[in-house]
Amino acid sequence: MQEATFLILTALAGGTQHGYGIITDVERISDRRVRLRAGTLYTALERLRADRLVEVDREEIVDGRLRRYYRLTAVGQERLAAEAARLQANALVAMSRLDAIGVLR
Amino acid sequence: MTDGADLERRYRRLLACYPATFRQEHEQEILAVLIAGAEEGQRWPRLAEAADLLRSAVYMRLHTRLQTSWTWEYRHRRVMVPVRIVIGIWLVTLTAILYGYGVGGWWGLLLVPAAAAHFYFAYRSLRHRVES
Repeated sequence: MQEATFLILTALAGGTQHGYGIITDVERISDRRVRLRAGTLYTALERLRADRLVEVDREEIVDGRLRRYYRLTAVGQERLAAEAARLQANALVAMSRLDAIGVLR
Repeated sequence: MTDGADLERRYRRLLACYPATFRQEHEQEILAVLIAGAEEGQRWPRLAEAADLLRSAVYMRLHTRLQTSWTWEYRHRRVMVPVRIVIGIWLVTLTAILYGYGVGGWWGLLLVPAAAAHFYFAYRSLRHRVES
């Protein structure tokens, strides 16, 4: 799973969000490291919807502009949980090995 | 006000590169995201942003086309699977005959991948479900 995809799913794990909400949330989650561009976001969302990891929650009109809110599906939750566990396991091994050679304090 | 209208018009022009079906469903929504991310008084899309939209549009077009052909293939699998298997076997036979007579030359480079492609299409239709 690409990092952008992982971050989008993580953003939606916090509740339903619209496009711009996802962008700002991903920026926050990644500590300002990742700022998704609109094209990238919608390519990812399209794929995630096709894979049934994400679905449309509702639509609103705010200031005359359409906002479509997305939410994580049950399958999406499972996939994110599996991916998070995998990343954590990898990170733990990296940390413990770095610790063993004295890189980490 | 006119700055905003200029910017919106330019964003729309970029969004016109997306496939029509995608645009119908998402143009307003993406436009809202782009406008929300724009700075006060901005009149032109940023270069990186425009490039990203174009890349995404190209991806969607290729993806849509691929999806459409897979869907067609899958929907017609009762006819297409036997047809592809027969063509595949014929191509393999042809290859064997040509090389058997020592006149194959470079034809194998064309015939073998072609046969493989036909078998793959048949295999895929039998194994996979295609999202409609």
